[in-house]
Amino acid sequence: MIFRTALRNLATVATVLAAATAAAEDTTGITDTTIKIGIMGPFTGNASSYSKAEIGLDAFYKWINDQGGIHGRKIETVLEDYACNEAKGIASAKKLIHQDKVFMLHGNSCSGVAIAIKPTVVEAGIPWVVAHAVNEKISSPPTKNIFHGVPVGRTYGTVMGNFVASKPGTRTVAVIQHSNDWANSYCVPAKQRLEAARIKVPLELALERGQTDATPQVLKIRQAKPDFIIACLYEAETAIFLKDLQKYGMDAIPVMGTAGTDLENTLKRVGDPQTVRNYYVPHNYVDNTTGGRMKKWNDIILKYYPNETITGFSAISMGSGVAVVEALKRAGRNLSREKFIAEMNKIRDFDTGILSGKITWTPDDREGVKQAAVNGFVGGKPTVLKSWGQPLFGG
Amino acid sequence: MFLQLVVSGISQGAIYALVALSLTLVYRATTIVNFGHGDFVMAGAFVVYVFVILAGMPFLPAALLAFALLFALGLAIQRGFIEPIKAGPHIGFAMMSIALGYVLRGVARAGWGREVLPMPRVFDFPPIFLGELVVTGESLVIVGVVAVLLAVFFVVFYRTRTGKMIQAVYQSERGAALVGINVRRFHCIMWGFGVALGAVGGVLVAPFTLLHPDLGASFLIRGFAAMTLGGFGSLWGAVAGGLLLGIAEQQLGAYVSTKLIDIAAYLVIIAVLVVRPVGLFGRVAAVRV
Repeated sequence: MIFRTALRNLATVATVLAAATAAAEDTTGITDTTIKIGIMGPFTGNASSYSKAEIGLDAFYKWINDQGGIHGRKIETVLEDYACNEAKGIASAKKLIHQDKVFMLHGNSCSGVAIAIKPTVVEAGIPWVVAHAVNEKISSPPTKNIFHGVPVGRTYGTVMGNFVASKPGTRTVAVIQHSNDWANSYCVPAKQRLEAARIKVPLELALERGQTDATPQVLKIRQAKPDFIIACLYEAETAIFLKDLQKYGMDAIPVMGTAGTDLENTLKRVGDPQTVRNYYVPHNYVDNTTGGRMKKWNDIILKYYPNETITGFSAISMGSGVAVVEALKRAGRNLSREKFIAEMNKIRDFDTGILSGKITWTPDDREGVKQAAVNGFVGGKPTVLKSWGQPLFGG
Repeated sequence: MFLQLVVSGISQGAIYALVALSLTLVYRATTIVNFGHGDFVMAGAFVVYVFVILAGMPFLPAALLAFALLFALGLAIQRGFIEPIKAGPHIGFAMMSIALGYVLRGVARAGWGREVLPMPRVFDFPPIFLGELVVTGESLVIVGVVAVLLAVFFVVFYRTRTGKMIQAVYQSERGAALVGINVRRFHCIMWGFGVALGAVGGVLVAPFTLLHPDLGASFLIRGFAAMTLGGFGSLWGAVAGGLLLGIAEQQLGAYVSTKLIDIAAYLVIIAVLVVRPVGLFGRVAAVRV
């Protein structure tokens, strides 16, 4: 009798505890039929071409819905524009979190904006997967609810430095960059890698956003005669810089850009293959942007956004999208933010089929992708390279 | 390098001069500082983009059509938005010009918000090499076109009957009205020319830079800096201020720090207002009693 009463009491306590635990779990943004995900990006402004990444991500979630969704739920995306502007970014994040009450945030081009948003997201405790911005300060030191789904600037910077150092005869390098965190996240580790390779950087120049002329910078480069140039510049300024290099007859010097630019878009902007023939950028994918292994993903984008032009940014956020869907599946039908974060922390060596690097997230390391290649024009065609003159896929 | 920077600075400064002159034109004619002027520069660039890329027109007719269209826009703005509020407080003009600028920006964003647009090369002249000095085709085109425009403008302004009428209205609207000049129409025309002249700046830079809806902001602040440097209300001062600002940006960038290029316009505004508030060619207003 005593045993039976004790057992009943124990069962009651367990039920109450279970109910209390369930009540503690955060199910904001989840209904019986939907999971609401906020996608922020620079859909307007002079960095708006980065938002191709968020467009690709949105298309991917639409495609997941057409495949039946996840455990009976469809993904409902809410797109917010912040025009690569910090103040607008904070306002967008607050709107998505407190007004739209989304389950999680995903996307985010523009590192400066992502860093500005971070305190708001940390305070709210909402899961946030950063799928395009690269500054490592976003995900390091690790925070409970933040995951990085692309290589961080340190990884890219090291790739850039290694590539520059791999060109035989490189002794001096000029660096031109914006004066912001985004540019530093690429250029600082690249310079550290060059220093380790005993390559000198005698010239460091600034070219700020919105400038329409790079003559002073190019003339200083002409005086310094470097073997290579590292350009940590946004797309518009990259195009202006490359055009001015050609204008003053300096276009024979190879230029290593950042993952913030891509070959196709840069060529489109400068309008002349000669101007970009010596331009190189870090490359994220398992193939060329429009190569066979990327066709499936490009077709998904074009299915939902038929007028979209595919560039090097288009599929970059889809990689972490594949990992997010995997974690949502693993979390099961009784989804909560806590269960989702727990499953994200168990993603190991996850091959997205899109990114050249695999994704691993742990509670102690949220920089999910640690590899990238380099893309450059070889024989007039974009070619993925592992080092100077060495194609990654055998030519 | 010094000479190269001067050449490049004159090319940049010619655009600033055009923007500053068009700002001054509207300011002198109507006492309105057009805070939306940068967006009219942007509009000029986008209109010529639409005509050249989407309609397939040659650049020159497209540029002339853009000039005419922006002139008409200036007239419409004066008639539709400035005239009705002229009895109100002066701050209303500033607010209206900002609002109109943002409307234009919004229209451009609606059409091309996610793109930074390149224009095909229009004047594909090879650069001229004079020893170390490189004179690019774009510099020649920009400086040449601006020089012709300025020459025509100043000849009309100072040597023709129309110019004398304009000057009469500048000096005293009431006096001009008393001798039979239609002041209302004059304001409309000045808005038209002001907007169209600013838009020429956009038309000229379009083939050499990249277009986006926020393009005008940097031209507006440089236009203000040139106006300040030359002296508020001085037409010659606006031109000289623009050229000097262009050269100063380049020299500062090369000899001091490239980080200063972006803030050169602000430094000029601060320095002029502190050291010589009337600018290089402005005059202190004196009232005889």
